[in-house]
Amino acid sequence: MTNSIGEIRDADFLFVIGSNTSEAHPIIAMEMKRAVHRGATMVVADPRQIFMTTMAKKHLQIRPGSDVWLLNAMAHVIIAEDLVDHDFIQNQTENFAAVREAVRDYTPEKAEEVTGVSAEDIRWTARTYATTERAGIYYTLGITEHSHGTDNVYALANLVLMTGHLGKPSSGMNPLRGQNNVQGANDAGATPVFFPGYQLVVDDEVRRKYEASWGVPLPPEPGLNLNQMMKTLGKQLKGMFIMGEDIVLSEPNVAKVEEGLSSMEFLVLQEPFLNETARYADVIFPSTVFAEKEGVFANSERRVQLVRRAVQPPGEAREDWIILRDLAAALGAEWHYADAAEVYAEMVKDTPKFAGLSHARLERETLAGKTGIQWPCVSEDDPGTVYLHKNGVLRGKGLFTAVHYRPSEELPDHEYTLVLSTGRTLYHYNAATQTRREEGLFTKQGEAFIQIHPRDAKRRGIADEEMVTVRTRRGQVTCRAILSPQLRRGSIWMPLHFPEARANLLTNDAGDPVTQTAEFKVCAAEVERAETQPPRSGDGPTFRGSYYREPLPSEA
Amino acid sequence: MTQRPTLWLGDQEVAFEPGETLLEVARRHGKEIPTLCHDPRLKPAGACRTCLVEVEGSRRLLPACATPASKGARVTVESARVDRHRKSLLSLYLTDHPDQAAMRERKRPDELLAMAERYAAPTDWPKLDSLRAERKEDPNPYIDFDAAACILCARCTRYCDEIESVSAITLAGRAAETTISTADGRSLLDSSCEMCGGCIDTCPTGAMAEKRPIARKSKHEDELVKVRTTCNFCGVGCQLDLNIDPSARGGAGEVVKVTSPPVGTTTNDGNLCVKGRFAYDFIHHADRLTTPLVRGADGALVPATWEVALRRAADGLLGVRERHGADALAFVSSSRCTVEENYLVQKIARAAIGTNNVHQCAAT
Repeated sequence: MTNSIGEIRDADFLFVIGSNTSEAHPIIAMEMKRAVHRGATMVVADPRQIFMTTMAKKHLQIRPGSDVWLLNAMAHVIIAEDLVDHDFIQNQTENFAAVREAVRDYTPEKAEEVTGVSAEDIRWTARTYATTERAGIYYTLGITEHSHGTDNVYALANLVLMTGHLGKPSSGMNPLRGQNNVQGANDAGATPVFFPGYQLVVDDEVRRKYEASWGVPLPPEPGLNLNQMMKTLGKQLKGMFIMGEDIVLSEPNVAKVEEGLSSMEFLVLQEPFLNETARYADVIFPSTVFAEKEGVFANSERRVQLVRRAVQPPGEAREDWIILRDLAAALGAEWHYADAAEVYAEMVKDTPKFAGLSHARLERETLAGKTGIQWPCVSEDDPGTVYLHKNGVLRGKGLFTAVHYRPSEELPDHEYTLVLSTGRTLYHYNAATQTRREEGLFTKQGEAFIQIHPRDAKRRGIADEEMVTVRTRRGQVTCRAILSPQLRRGSIWMPLHFPEARANLLTNDAGDPVTQTAEFKVCAAEVERAETQPPRSGDGPTFRGSYYREPLPSEA
Repeated sequence: MTQRPTLWLGDQEVAFEPGETLLEVARRHGKEIPTLCHDPRLKPAGACRTCLVEVEGSRRLLPACATPASKGARVTVESARVDRHRKSLLSLYLTDHPDQAAMRERKRPDELLAMAERYAAPTDWPKLDSLRAERKEDPNPYIDFDAAACILCARCTRYCDEIESVSAITLAGRAAETTISTADGRSLLDSSCEMCGGCIDTCPTGAMAEKRPIARKSKHEDELVKVRTTCNFCGVGCQLDLNIDPSARGGAGEVVKVTSPPVGTTTNDGNLCVKGRFAYDFIHHADRLTTPLVRGADGALVPATWEVALRRAADGLLGVRERHGADALAFVSSSRCTVEENYLVQKIARAAIGTNNVHQCAAT
């Protein structure tokens, strides 16, 4: 996020795209709701009607995967009607001409044909965004989990740059991070291309610094990213260490992942629970959950906050940093850390962005009634950074990048006629290793389901709450159908949490060419009524979850 | 710089920002004014009347929470009149409120009883038979409502409207029968409720309370130790207070419930979602791994000592490196784990093994 969470409530215009905020980021959604109650205008672009669309001034019910058309058409309108911020473009950006040229043919009328959003709504949204002073963009995996995810992000950034909505409170570009420490894991260098603090592995000077610090020669070539790892299991990759991820549930096209895992020579897991991936493990270390460990998480707004030990772990389970230190020792690397604070101190020593941070300082902040510090924080007396690009764009000039629409890798055809998107619900979390062990959440939402438009269901002879088989080219699962007019016709949606109906048996592992992020949001699928129809356990509509709208007679 | 308007708090002249209420100005200047229906996140309701103050020129006492500060106003926060009024008011509340022992069973503090004690309100007024409609037991897993303990301040319903914005609960009934309910009294499970538990957090008396600590006969909140930490679910980074019973589990400690830090102190501003506030049973779940496991010759996972497991893991990884080179190994770290743990995984990959094959699910 270029802005902070606390700035959301003061925004006057919120453009929320590809984010089911009230389910995936409920507390950020509360801030958006506060802004709307205060009088802010919200526009939500999403293929489904979700809770946030009920509070929005407009819902742009976009066809999945057509975001570039929508965003380029908005840029087209802003340029055609001369609503751009000329000073900002002149002084703080480069390459605007390329985008102006690229979006010339993306007229709202043509965009309407591709996206399903009316030209009038596109114009209105573009104008209102461009002409509102405190206008922020909020997005998440609905933008990035596409084979053209990077293009989507560039198209959003172009809107931000041409309107100068950057480097100001409540006005910026805000990806909402999906997990507690996505930001921190990247900050810490758990990526194939960066050392900690986004210092490039291929940079000789950086590598020499780390070789001196760590006292060993280091490999100069970037490594494999996660999607590439999953595709080379058992081939190039013969051994693996996995900490805190159930790849057999979370990765796309898992049938292929499991095939690869079964031909691996050696697999080590470090987990608090046995998970699906454990079937393939040779060694499993029992690790700890957040309530049992010391350390820091960094949130969506780059805020580094302490995690404190509140209880002792069960049995012989150990804090993860201790296991890792001991594993390193067994591998022949003797590293001496007395506690997590020392590990952190070692990390910040070589990363200028975090140089002002330490556990002791974060503890002092808490005692002073504040919470955490937002990086960049370069020295002990640096208070941190509330919003980015305040004193001009960080890279010097904001770079416009012209992008063109590329269809999703797998589109519906006569055999698989529907578009399947997957996502998270309010009541569960990812592989549900934790939430599946929380009885109350299961009372509210206890089994896998797929959402389908009543008319699409009717054509297939499917009644509400019947079991259906969902098929794609990669696999099939069986789960219950919820008939809901919240969906676009031709689109279906299912959550990824349930081991009995693993959505990732269905998803496509085609990746974005730059990030390799997989296309979880679009693949071709077909649904049919299952032959056996076991009765539902429990009664009532409770398992429908967070937001559900009954079909109107005209929609049935 | 423009001169800010001022008013008088007793004999002290203080400046205020236009739009501030008397309560905000007084609290900013360290004056204590009790409130029950006030929550800074919500629009003022002026319902509980505990914050009444004297304002010169006004015949009646005025609620500080709902009275805008005005230029030159002369406000008296404490006086014999205010005290007399407050005592009577609190005593009236108590005629219709369970006693200390009953409220202890709610496992959370009761601000009304504490306030009555602080201001020495008489407690010997005759008790009334409450006409309030008792709600039937609700099957939802988390939120318990005790109509007898409710003072109808409507913080919960206003929170549900103004902050969570799902309007699942509402004031229902008329006059003395007024209570908190859902539309047509249906279960919270079948309402628009999203189980954020904000109603519990904002309730001043404990009428709204979490079911589990009551059912499990946990210790009262004031006997628990609160440990401030960061939520482990989504990327918002909410701060939460793990309420720990340190003597449970043979002294290893147990998370008995989760509460949110006070309003205005952290990013989440006193708010939490269903997972942050209620999904804590996984911490002490019987499924937790309690010993290292290694795969035996027969293909089954069997318990092992740490020494054996670490040796086996290291030999296995080093064996792959010897046979196929360092780049035949990969390390999947985790965005669920701490920064320190991620740092160590990448350091092991790079410095102990010699590969940059290290990543985590931020790719997806």
